Amino acid sequence: MKLILTGILAGLLAASAAHADEMAFTSWGGTTQEAQTKSWAAPFEASSGIKVLQDGPTDYGKLKAMVDAKNVTWDVVDVEMDFAIKAAKDGLLEPIDFTVVPKADLDPRFSNDHAVGSFYYSFVLAWNKGSVSGEPASWADMFDTKKYPGKRTFYKWSAPGVIEIALLADGVPADKLYPLDLDRAFKKLDTIKSDIVWWGGGAESQQLIASGEAAFGQLWNGRVFALQQDGTDVGVSWNQNLTAADVLVVPKGAKNKDSAMKFLAAATSPTGQAKFAEASGYAPINVKAKAEMPAEVVKGLPDAHVDGQINLDMNYWAEHRDEIATRWYAWQTK
Amino acid sequence: MHGNSLRRGSIAGLPAGSGGALPALVLVGLFFVVPVVALLLRSVTDPEPGLQNYAALFGSGTYVRVFLNTFLVAAVVTAVTIVVAFPVAWMLAIMPPAFGSIVFGIIILSMWTNLLTRTYAWMVLLQRTGVINRTLMGMGITQEPLPLINNLTGVTIGMVYIMLPFMILPLVGTLRAIDPMTLRAAALCGATPFQAFRRILLPLSLPGIAAGGLMVFVMSLGYFVTPALLGGTSNMMLAEMIAQTVQSLLNWGLGSAAAFVLLVVTMALYVLQLRLVGGKRPAGGL
Repeated sequence: MKLILTGILAGLLAASAAHADEMAFTSWGGTTQEAQTKSWAAPFEASSGIKVLQDGPTDYGKLKAMVDAKNVTWDVVDVEMDFAIKAAKDGLLEPIDFTVVPKADLDPRFSNDHAVGSFYYSFVLAWNKGSVSGEPASWADMFDTKKYPGKRTFYKWSAPGVIEIALLADGVPADKLYPLDLDRAFKKLDTIKSDIVWWGGGAESQQLIASGEAAFGQLWNGRVFALQQDGTDVGVSWNQNLTAADVLVVPKGAKNKDSAMKFLAAATSPTGQAKFAEASGYAPINVKAKAEMPAEVVKGLPDAHVDGQINLDMNYWAEHRDEIATRWYAWQTK
Repeated sequence: MHGNSLRRGSIAGLPAGSGGALPALVLVGLFFVVPVVALLLRSVTDPEPGLQNYAALFGSGTYVRVFLNTFLVAAVVTAVTIVVAFPVAWMLAIMPPAFGSIVFGIIILSMWTNLLTRTYAWMVLLQRTGVINRTLMGMGITQEPLPLINNLTGVTIGMVYIMLPFMILPLVGTLRAIDPMTLRAAALCGATPFQAFRRILLPLSLPGIAAGGLMVFVMSLGYFVTPALLGGTSNMMLAEMIAQTVQSLLNWGLGSAAAFVLLVVTMALYVLQLRLVGGKRPAGGL
């Protein structure tokens, strides 16, 4: 018993000791975090001598618990942008030190006082070529079960994307999307509810499309990119692609704040962003990154499809997150 | 297994050697009782003192639906598990021990494999383009893929599979304790096999069914991974809903209230079950 207690005490002491030459980076795991480790953490460790410990997956509940308990073990966290805006309002985040992180070349759409862009992505319409005859060309086609029969897959959780897709399919012009007409969106979604299979994570979305379990769906472009790299026969329509971003934040009270800011500078640098984009298929948030990337890769990025591109309004979502979620789950579980 | 050997140990009398239970009790106290009290406190203090979380919970059609759904799924899973487990348990009870332990090993073996892996395996089997549907359609038995996944069917299949050992174990104990002579006597008196089952075997095995059934039901109530992957959103279960509320919406007060209500209802069912079985302790088993 005594031995166990001593062990626990030693563990606690070790855990609470802050190391000046160490910091923790937390992201969503999978191929995305692998690319972040390779493109950002490894070169950063080499140049700064600061060791970057990888943790994950990102969990907003855990982040809040750490800040509330004043025991923050994550120094940089990859989060969705609408969460970052809300978290900053709730006092959960450190302001970004822009004397350390150069701001000039960051895409202003994806950075603010408490967050810098991690990468940005688009929701695109993807389909299994073996299961769909013809080429769906717009979100409206995903609601046309006569022309395109079969299951369709959408993102399961209350988040920017599906509501907008339903409204666009119902004929709402892109510049009139906000404020979101939830009644109209749910009414439209009702028309295909029994044909929807939900995906809860990126791997699941790939599995559904690759197996033909769902004929087509709303996917993250990076996941479609990975499917195509694997040789899966998937089609993709960039028409009305919807952009959203992941951002990097520093939780309030992070133990290695200074190292964290230096890490952010490296991650958002043109080189860091270029390398990550090349590895993941997601787009860089540093406007100078493209100059360092092969033309082949640039062609496949959301940047190459700005025609008809729609930016999901993260500020609107941050403000109405809870209200939309309540409606969303009420509709979904009905 | 051990037949009746465990039946006679009684906690109430605190027989010699019960001090050995202390570490387990401390563990439960520290890591169950304390967190549950903290949970209760949070549900009436976060974000401010009062019962607003409970009002929100019962006022929300979503949560009420998810609650009902959770109990429905748990009840269906329990019922199907009992029906599937009974013949297996009976076979184990009457088999020569050497064969019995092989069958038993096969049942236990499935518990050694990671839960997530097993659930993904079911996804591959059950989906529209999966092995089962392809076979059925290939043999011309069905024309269209059967909806086996993303619905109650999928959840039930996946969860019954996982719960089976928990039902079989207590049942085998009970069935082994039944004197086979009673069945022979019934046959001699002219009872058909069905009558013997209904009037003799079933009533005598009720304590085992009740014990296993309760365990399966309670475990099912809190299940997360399997319903999330094999079910659809219209059969979302409470664990998943609480996870969303806490992790994504950061509404810890509401999440705590939901978890606490589930705990209270589960306890109430447990007490009810004890009353119904009339304090009869299940024989043998684990």
